[in-house]
Amino acid sequence: MTAKIVVDSVNHLYRPPRGRPVLALENISLDIREREFIALLGPSGCGKSTLLYLMGGFLPIETGAITVDGKPVVAPGPDRGIVFQHFALFPWKTVRANVTYGLERQGLPRAEREARAQRFIDMVGLTGFEDSYPSQLSGGMKQRAAIARTLAIDPDVLLMDEPFGALDAQTRHLMQTELLAIWQRSPKTVIFVTHDVQEAVYLAERVAVMSARPGRIKAIVDTRFDKNDPAVHKSQPFVDKVDELWGLVREEAIKAEQREAP
Amino acid sequence: MARVAQRAPWVSAIGWGAARFLPIGLLLAAWELLSHSGAVTPFMLPSIEAVVARIARDAGTGELAVNLGLTLYRSLLGFAIAAVAGIALGLFISRSAVVRWFFDPVISVGFPMPKIAFLPIVVLWLGFYDVSRITMVVSDAIFPVVTATIAGIQGVEREVLWSARNLGASERRLQWEIVLPAALPQILTGLQVALPIALIVDIVAEMIMGGYGIGGAMATASRFADSRGVFAGLVEIAIVGFCLVKAMMLVRRRLLLWHPEALDAANG
Ligand SMILES: Nc1ncnc2c1ncn2[C@@H]1O[C@H](COP(=O)(O)OP(=O)(O)OP(=O)(O)O)[C@@H](O)[C@H]1O
Ligand SMILES: [Mg+2]
Repeated sequence: MTAKIVVDSVNHLYRPPRGRPVLALENISLDIREREFIALLGPSGCGKSTLLYLMGGFLPIETGAITVDGKPVVAPGPDRGIVFQHFALFPWKTVRANVTYGLERQGLPRAEREARAQRFIDMVGLTGFEDSYPSQLSGGMKQRAAIARTLAIDPDVLLMDEPFGALDAQTRHLMQTELLAIWQRSPKTVIFVTHDVQEAVYLAERVAVMSARPGRIKAIVDTRFDKNDPAVHKSQPFVDKVDELWGLVREEAIKAEQREAP
Repeated sequence: MARVAQRAPWVSAIGWGAARFLPIGLLLAAWELLSHSGAVTPFMLPSIEAVVARIARDAGTGELAVNLGLTLYRSLLGFAIAAVAGIALGLFISRSAVVRWFFDPVISVGFPMPKIAFLPIVVLWLGFYDVSRITMVVSDAIFPVVTATIAGIQGVEREVLWSARNLGASERRLQWEIVLPAALPQILTGLQVALPIALIVDIVAEMIMGGYGIGGAMATASRFADSRGVFAGLVEIAIVGFCLVKAMMLVRRRLLLWHPEALDAANG
């Protein structure tokens, strides 16, 4: 299989206007296959969001290179849809207007936009809140609105930054199922950041574990399990995989904590 | 608690309205008492009824309408120009570091400067016409609009801009469809500051230049030792200013229906 996204020796240095520069990513190399579902795990502050921002074309790539379909990433585009960790909805637009915004930019006729938006609003369970403003929604509802907005534009690549982080267990499970269904029936490559090791193992085909800051790829672990088996969470290989990954993440979390301590 | 809840909503609404204006009522009562106390002469402080009678007389002769109309025309036109130009300038300054480098110190120096001191020179340049007065209004009212617009744009969340780009917004659309609405709460705050400034500067310019307009009428009254006329002007300005500020608040509420402040207000 050919690589859909190639991340080649990428560093990222933040230079805040005040204070010392922060090396967020160091020498990241990662090949992501066409149609792959890959999860990124790592301790807080290790650079997961930064890596997504670089793939999305939001931050300049200063060293190394990232290509999608062989073309270098230079700017954001609707071929790589992103769900931001903090939702980044347009607060002056209703849920419906948030979801239709990208469709409008694609030049879809009005009726089609509305119908398509409604489908995704229904899918994320926000039926009845189409005319609400983001400030009237709970955190989890905002997150689902953001997911609907990104899914609606049907991007080739989905960059998802802890997209279910604000959801309760029940809703999270429903959204996982929906995401898997979308991924299985349409050719999408998904890069999925999460803190939840179980979620990573369940959803992804491979899990990349990142080290404490500066973020490096510490390990890449295969995690192919039968997603249609309702008891997969309890199977021994699944539990072992979760344990293995937990061990890797915990080591880095401890390192990160020691570093932050004065 | 239970008794409060039983009361019809409009009763408490009126109660609230009355309570809000109580301080004004107290000040007016103090004015009335003082003017009748004998401690001051009617020249120093005419009674409220004398001032009201004067306003009524001016209204009858049509003088009030002319003065009020001119003052409103000049200050509101000046305000509108300052609003449009200020927002445009704020957008422009926020877009480029070079422009910013040029305008930052200009604004810092220009904002606190008493622009009204230039009125004699402006009159030399532009003549004894409305254009001079309106120029003064714009030169003062534009500063809060520009600074608020710049601050508002700076405060727009980076990820909101990124979202829009990600969804396919071009750079031009980004300004109109994302940056402006996202910065609107702050821009409106700037406009709310600029509006009373526009009124004040126009009235001061009228007082200096004379002629028609509430400020001009006050200056004339003052020259003829007509204290009722001066106080009539003060009361008119107070009422006009109050109405303008209220109208601006309504505009704000209307435009920011989505904002937590409006939603909080709606929920009590
Ligand atoms: N704008 C910025 N300026 C300076 N430093 C930054 C900036 N953004 C992030 N960083 C630093 O870069 C590092 C990586 O940040 P990033 O947001 O990518 O982490 P993360 O892995 O997504 O963390 P989390 O799991 O908590 O979301 C952090 O240590 C942070 O301090
Ligand atoms: Mg993050």
